[in-house]
Amino acid sequence: MHIPENYLSPSTCGVLGVAMVPVWATAVRRVRETMPREKMPLLGIAAAFCFLSMMFNIPIPGGTTGHAVCGTLIAILFGPWAACIAVTIALVIQAVLFGDGGVLALGANCFNMAFVLPMVGHAIYSLIKERVEGEKGELLGAAVGSYVAINCAALCAAVEFGIQPLLFTNAAGEALYCPYPLAVSVPAMLVGHLTIWGAAEVVFTCGILAFLHAVAPDFGLSSSAATADDKASARSRGAVVALLVCLILATPLGLLATGDAWGEWGVEDLAGLVGYTPAGMDGAWEWGSLMPDYAIGELPEWFGYILCAVIGVALLVVIFRLAAAAMRPSVDFDRARA
Amino acid sequence: MTVRAPSGRDISDERGAAREPGATGAGGPLPSWLAEPEGYEPARDRDAFIGKSMLSVAGVLTRLRVDDGREAPFSPSPAFKLVLGLACILMTSLAQNFVFVLLMLALVLVRACALPSSALRRVAGVSAGAAGVSLLVMLPAILLGQGHAPLLLGTKVLTTTAIALEVALTTPAHEMMRALSTFRVSEVVTLTLGLTLKYIVVLGTVALEMLEALRLRSVGRNDDKRASVGGVGGMLFLKSREAAEDVAAAMRCRGFDGRMAAPARGGLRAQDAAWAVGLALLACAFGYLQSLV
Repeated sequence: MHIPENYLSPSTCGVLGVAMVPVWATAVRRVRETMPREKMPLLGIAAAFCFLSMMFNIPIPGGTTGHAVCGTLIAILFGPWAACIAVTIALVIQAVLFGDGGVLALGANCFNMAFVLPMVGHAIYSLIKERVEGEKGELLGAAVGSYVAINCAALCAAVEFGIQPLLFTNAAGEALYCPYPLAVSVPAMLVGHLTIWGAAEVVFTCGILAFLHAVAPDFGLSSSAATADDKASARSRGAVVALLVCLILATPLGLLATGDAWGEWGVEDLAGLVGYTPAGMDGAWEWGSLMPDYAIGELPEWFGYILCAVIGVALLVVIFRLAAAAMRPSVDFDRARA
Repeated sequence: MTVRAPSGRDISDERGAAREPGATGAGGPLPSWLAEPEGYEPARDRDAFIGKSMLSVAGVLTRLRVDDGREAPFSPSPAFKLVLGLACILMTSLAQNFVFVLLMLALVLVRACALPSSALRRVAGVSAGAAGVSLLVMLPAILLGQGHAPLLLGTKVLTTTAIALEVALTTPAHEMMRALSTFRVSEVVTLTLGLTLKYIVVLGTVALEMLEALRLRSVGRNDDKRASVGGVGGMLFLKSREAAEDVAAAMRCRGFDGRMAAPARGGLRAQDAAWAVGLALLACAFGYLQSLV
């Protein structure tokens, strides 16, 4: 679902980037108002879950691959605005360091995965949780919410791809950017997400949520860290770190999926598919990332993948811990007195 | 007895003078000069530099006193940590293969995740600053299209600075002294370093007190305040000389003959073996990756 560089016209990228500015501003304001300082590092760990889930590429028949996003998971745990910031930072790290998604298309990718996905997922989750009580309602809400949300995000990406040949063509009628119209892009994106990748999103979201409820009940915004004693919170922290380590070590499974995701081909591969190189992509600017495609130089592919996962996760944790240190301490005197 | 008002007037004769309208009091009427509204507003004074100096001195003192190194549960012994840090810095600096630098960056980031919040801020701030300056210096090369070397250098600076800070911030100062003596570093160097660390705190406190006094005793606009800062510096120098002489005399009285008894050497810990294996693996990775260049 990561839209690469030059698949969207600069004007499309610009419009979606500008559209995201007020969203980011609102998200920062809301997080500042509602998020306690001590919960910010946990948001970093949640962002790490999102980052890692996007590294597990899952193939479907036909040669394309996709992945889960876990944006709904973060929205359930910390609220949709916090999820917006967490997924945005994960996407920025992926684009800048690993070349996963274009730097110019960052606004579009954030619109799909950091705005539409957590907002829709959280809205549906809240709706179901109000009607079905208990843990069953929570898991049902998470499952339905995450499934619908990832499909909405995929639909948005498909529409962004599909409108390119309608809006931007040369005199010969050839597309300047993404050459596939809506009739092709929407089914191509949605077939995978309605089946395998939607299911993967449900499995990741519900699995991690159930695990966190079982071993780390203080992980999330709704629960109070002050209620747990030190020993219990250290144990739950250890369990969460263990889950992160397991996921990092399992990331090379994502390498088993050969082939590219739909809409994420290289320019040469795309030229081979459609018979010409779209003019807007030919020799266009491209960000030279440090570790393209999660590969590091001469290191074996699986080791490079694990190392990239370690760098990404550690960077996310460090960024959110620094953000927590920069926040003003929030003391609720009423609660402290009670 | 004749009492003189601040203006120099003789007020003894004014007692019992005509009562001011509205002036009341159990002890008689207020004298007219006392009932006059003064409307004293001190001229705006510019003393922000004193506040800034005090904050920076206090910041150094806080770092030296409070954040005096904290060890993680699986920390190697200070001596081994020093070896580990130096070896990592050396290998990162010598690496010509970017892959090894990225490997070290990953390890540094993982360690940074577990640092206390204040230490993490310092590591991130100083390392990012150092890397930024090196990239700025290499900007002409980047503009000329040579992007690889500045990137390699910037990442190396970021990684090595972070390693040095992570070692320094997780090792208490006295443990560091002990580690240095384990490596047979000259007694003079160890003694000087130890005394310096202690006297930064002592003289910092003196500087702080003098700056505070300067601020408190300046009433109204005092344009001579900046000149007084020179005086603070001079006094600090004199105090440091006095303190040095006093310490030397006290040490001589206690039988100091110029040789420092080596502190008890910190023994190696069980986890040092695991760290040694890790270092050996890193050295192998370094050798292998260098051979590919």
